[in-house]
Amino acid sequence: MRRLFLILGNDVRRHLKAPLAVIIYLIIPLAMTGLVGIIFGPRTEPSQLPPIPVLLVDHDKSLASKLLLGAFDADQLKKMFQVTVTDEVEGRRRMKAGRASAMVVIPERFTLDLLEMKPVTLLVVKNPAEQYLPDVAEEFMNTTAVMLSGAVQAFADEARGIRALLEVPLRSISWEALAPEFGKAQKKVLAAEKYLNPLLLRLKEEETKAAGAKTRFTRADLFSMILPGMAIMFLLFIVQTLMRDIISEREDGKLRRMLTTPLRPLELIGARLLGGWIMGMGVLLVMVAAGTIVFRVTWGPFGYFLFLGGVASFWTAAFFALLHALVRNRNQAGAFSAPIILAFSLFGGSMMNQEAMPAAFRTVGILTPNRWFIDGAALIRDGRFPWAALLVLAATGLILLAVAVPALRRRTSV
Amino acid sequence: MAGNDLRIMVGDKIFFFWTLAFPILFIVLFGLLFKAGENAPAVAELTVVNLDQGRWGAYFVEKIKSPGVKVIMADKEPAEYNRLLILPADFSAKIEARRDQALPFKKRSDASTKAAARVETRLFQAIARLISELVLYGDGDLTKFMDGHPEFRDLVQVKSQFPENTVTVVPSGFDHSIPGTTIQFIMMMVMIYGGVTVMEDRKKGVLGRMLFSPLSTGELFQAKLLGRWLMGVLQALMLILVGKIFFRLNLGSFPLSLVVIAVFALAMAALSVFIGSLCSKEDMIIGLAVLLSNLFAGLGGCWWPNEIVPPAVRKLALASPAYWAMDALHKLRFFSGGFTEILPNLGILLALAIVLTVVAGRYFKIRD
Repeated sequence: MRRLFLILGNDVRRHLKAPLAVIIYLIIPLAMTGLVGIIFGPRTEPSQLPPIPVLLVDHDKSLASKLLLGAFDADQLKKMFQVTVTDEVEGRRRMKAGRASAMVVIPERFTLDLLEMKPVTLLVVKNPAEQYLPDVAEEFMNTTAVMLSGAVQAFADEARGIRALLEVPLRSISWEALAPEFGKAQKKVLAAEKYLNPLLLRLKEEETKAAGAKTRFTRADLFSMILPGMAIMFLLFIVQTLMRDIISEREDGKLRRMLTTPLRPLELIGARLLGGWIMGMGVLLVMVAAGTIVFRVTWGPFGYFLFLGGVASFWTAAFFALLHALVRNRNQAGAFSAPIILAFSLFGGSMMNQEAMPAAFRTVGILTPNRWFIDGAALIRDGRFPWAALLVLAATGLILLAVAVPALRRRTSV
Repeated sequence: MAGNDLRIMVGDKIFFFWTLAFPILFIVLFGLLFKAGENAPAVAELTVVNLDQGRWGAYFVEKIKSPGVKVIMADKEPAEYNRLLILPADFSAKIEARRDQALPFKKRSDASTKAAARVETRLFQAIARLISELVLYGDGDLTKFMDGHPEFRDLVQVKSQFPENTVTVVPSGFDHSIPGTTIQFIMMMVMIYGGVTVMEDRKKGVLGRMLFSPLSTGELFQAKLLGRWLMGVLQALMLILVGKIFFRLNLGSFPLSLVVIAVFALAMAALSVFIGSLCSKEDMIIGLAVLLSNLFAGLGGCWWPNEIVPPAVRKLALASPAYWAMDALHKLRFFSGGFTEILPNLGILLALAIVLTVVAGRYFKIRD
């Protein structure tokens, strides 16, 4: 046992002398978690979307089009839309260059046609390279269209009056004769006010979650969901670099020299496995610390997580011990390890939320350690003990170890 | 020599995993995701619990119904729903008394936000329609409203279209995912394979031995650069071919897309030689390549549409070579752009390739 720890200590010292690769592997998951969290995390602004650039082309330049332009000026909408008024040629040029999410074209005679109660059409030109923002602009225009239709119908008589007034010179209008009409309009405005201030029907919005779940989703929650997936992916990467010593020592002739000492092959294998496990635990602890400090990630009961991390590190060490027992040389080990890790990560949910994945991918994911680790971490976050994840990882880890040790003994014997 | 490098790489079986198998998995996954995103609004569900004891509740529900919104009626609040609207027992009574009211509208936080937005918009439109009818009805007795009232007319219509001479239908999910995956894997594969082989050739003395041939150091550098560039172009060609055959990929202009990818691959080839010259350990090269390619891909719009990204990140994306390549490919595919439209992108990518080549040449080493 003492010899085993001596080898282990020597390995640790050797790896600490050139830690840059391990540091890079530790930076990657943290950088990726930060990037995804910044992009998809809940925002402090009322809108979850960035400001939507909209171009507005006004061929009408009259009352109704000004009203429409004014709609974009409301406080909340100002934050939602970045409106630029432009002419059609410039607008189309900018749309063709993808410089805006949508362009709204108000046609000529828009006001006159509305005053005459004739149907009018607003054109919304959408950016084909974007998937969400143009639809938001289109839906906003649909709602505005409904409101405008309602207003015009409610004040149809007045609209006709205004239309008639537009036809005659200002001096020939008898304003005294219009007084009763103004009176009627005033009554309508007052009647409408009853429905509009306060609004007769409003929505009382509430965001809900299924029973037992948290009601408010924060950016820290998102980081808490992403980081375990990233952590297991790079745990696999880092442990495999360490376990590759098994091959490199054989190729470099170090193994032959070591076995001239009283060392037994089993002690060497044990030192490698223990080294892999310790490295795995170290990686996870760094992730936990960085995640907690930088991203305010919540891990749930720390003891449970430590237990899960310990079992996952054991699984990883056993798996790469077996892989390195089966491959012939360092190149083969490198060629197989990275694709296997990436496949585990893709199917297991490290690269993407499992719920968003196709069913077939999720099914394959059951065969990966990533899936069980991520599921286990999610349970721990909810305060539950991850029995299934621990059992699966521990049982399969033991099987891998049982196969790996005899295979490694054969490879280690000189 | 570049051809020999390429032959060695193609001879490696695992090369096909990196260049073909794994990218295809990515393409399928992201392609299906983009597709699912497109389908979301068509199945926007709204569960309505109508407790109203009058006739206005049913009337309002009729106003909500539309081809884009599927209304599901329920007697009481169900345990499972995506979006839920409750019409209270005194819904009609309050309307007839012209008293304002707030309708409980619950949204599951894990349900599609796009579908939720569609339902919410429809609800606002239904409210606007109903209030318009009430204003049209005037001061009359609202209990007699259902016996006869003026109908709402959609006088203002909205017609939507894409810019002229661009696309007529929304491009498929694979038209988004294949270019993104191609760009990402060119970065990753060229940097990993290219970097590791440069480092190994140096460490094993292969580069040193080559100088015994009539090759100069400069020619050796050029050959390494060319080999890695060919690798990136070959990978892109394979992915595009698979995309064309299996996913009906449409790139807009194929030759111009290839020009964009070729210039981008040149920049990545220079970066791979630089990394390979700088690093002396395989793990470091792989780590750096994974870090850089993932950051560039994430920022550059290879994984998600750049439109949803916060403005500050969008500015940061300008520093990613992947952004300029993706932007050029979008111009070609979605806007049916030509050479003039992608010229600025090509200029920036070419400038980057030149700078990286100069730096890589400066650091290129024959021996450690």
